[in-house]
Amino acid sequence: MQPGKTDKAIKEMRELGNIAKISIIAGEYDIVVRAQVKNLEELLEVTDKLQMIEGVNKTTTQIIEKEITLQ
Amino acid sequence: MIIRKKYLFYVLAITSSFIAAAVTGIDSFVGSQPAFKYDPWAFAFSLFFIGAIITFLISLVLSIKFKGKSIGGKVLDPSFKQLRMVQKSEIKYHFVAGLMNAINTVGYCAIVSMVQDPSVILSFSQIVILYLLLMESITDKDVPTLVEVQSSVIVAFGAILASISLTGEFQLLPILLVFLVVNPTWAIFSIYQRKLKIMKINNRPNDSINIRFWNVAFSFLFTAIILVIFDLFTSGGHLIAGLVASINPYYFLLLALTMGTTYFSYVLYIRSLGMGKASVNNAIRASTIIFAIPFSIILLKMGVITDFSTDPVMLIIKVIGMILIVLGIVSFALAVVKAYIFITVKTGTPLRETMQKLWDIRGVSHVTITSGKYDFIVKVSTRTLMKGYERIIRKIEEIDAIKKYHWESVLKDWEKI
Repeated sequence: MQPGKTDKAIKEMRELGNIAKISIIAGEYDIVVRAQVKNLEELLEVTDKLQMIEGVNKTTTQIIEKEITLQ
Repeated sequence: MIIRKKYLFYVLAITSSFIAAAVTGIDSFVGSQPAFKYDPWAFAFSLFFIGAIITFLISLVLSIKFKGKSIGGKVLDPSFKQLRMVQKSEIKYHFVAGLMNAINTVGYCAIVSMVQDPSVILSFSQIVILYLLLMESITDKDVPTLVEVQSSVIVAFGAILASISLTGEFQLLPILLVFLVVNPTWAIFSIYQRKLKIMKINNRPNDSINIRFWNVAFSFLFTAIILVIFDLFTSGGHLIAGLVASINPYYFLLLALTMGTTYFSYVLYIRSLGMGKASVNNAIRASTIIFAIPFSIILLKMGVITDFSTDPVMLIIKVIGMILIVLGIVSFALAVVKAYIFITVKTGTPLRETMQKLWDIRGVSHVTITSGKYDFIVKVSTRTLMKGYERIIRKIEEIDAIKKYHWESVLKDWEKI
């Protein structure tokens, strides 16, 4: 993220569809966004919209293959 | 809507407490009716008998689909699709939770029949938080942190102070019932309801509406069995008395009102149990004490309970108790550290095996196998960073298959509800 743009970017991300969770983190990355999509086309749409948000410098995508969760 | 998950957890638990306070008010009124006042056994049976019918009907209504999603899924629990049969994997948990709920309700009804002010009834049941802390440390091998112990003690004692009766009465038998029957059964019930909520049914998270429905069904069954045995040994007629009272239209309506309201309180409670430990949930639930006060005032106006004491010392003690409850809940809320751990693994070990090893670490809430720069993303939550190191990082370092990992603390997060 570009310094100073996080709050505004988060606000815009919260408005996007297919977003299940947004976390601001401290370390190598600044924000983790979890998206739920039906196909790769929808994933492209999400990453495309994320990259259009002002302040977003770089995105890295991890695709979930399997998950165990408490909820 | 995307909101902070922490808020959702507290909103669920506190809303459930508010409804529970209303239920206690209604229960006091129902319990003071001639048919139930001197027969807590019949009262408990009638509650579950009518409760099973009402719960079934409400659950059916919530199963109705609207724009492709059930009403219950839209309004109460997103995991809910429709009312379904109990699954084999759930039966033993429902069995224990149902039995505990049945015993708990018989004890609770006995207390409601003996004392009339709800804030007295609720008093010492708040000690259940301490029972839960102890039980969780034994069953889940989840030793409570200092913050959890401190906050729980603050809440428990605050709840006792806040619930000192304004009518000034103190009776030994109801207090004994609370300590020996209501508290232990409620603690076990909470733990088993949580176990059910965090289960996966057909690869979906279990939902609180089906859990509640089946719990009432099992509780009804156990209450009936307990009553039959009790009646046989004592040549009593509690079961018949309960049945007769239940079919009386006036009592039916009152019981339907109390069990219908209870339904929503429990569904929200079970949902919040899926998000946090039973002890933390019960600490938040202690706020019922505060919410019970306006309902006590309503009961006073209706003439169900006797006059309040206006002794300033009593009032000050009550206010101090309420402040302690709020302080305890706030300190619970603030003391959580969450983090993501990004992991890459060596080749040669099956991913499923490593996944299971990661999942077995205490404090891990999500384990995700991903394709991309990392092989796993693990989400953890812990009360302190020190515990995070001791309980999580050390364990991760013990897993041979892990080549590299890095910890990134969550500063703030939002979640879709």
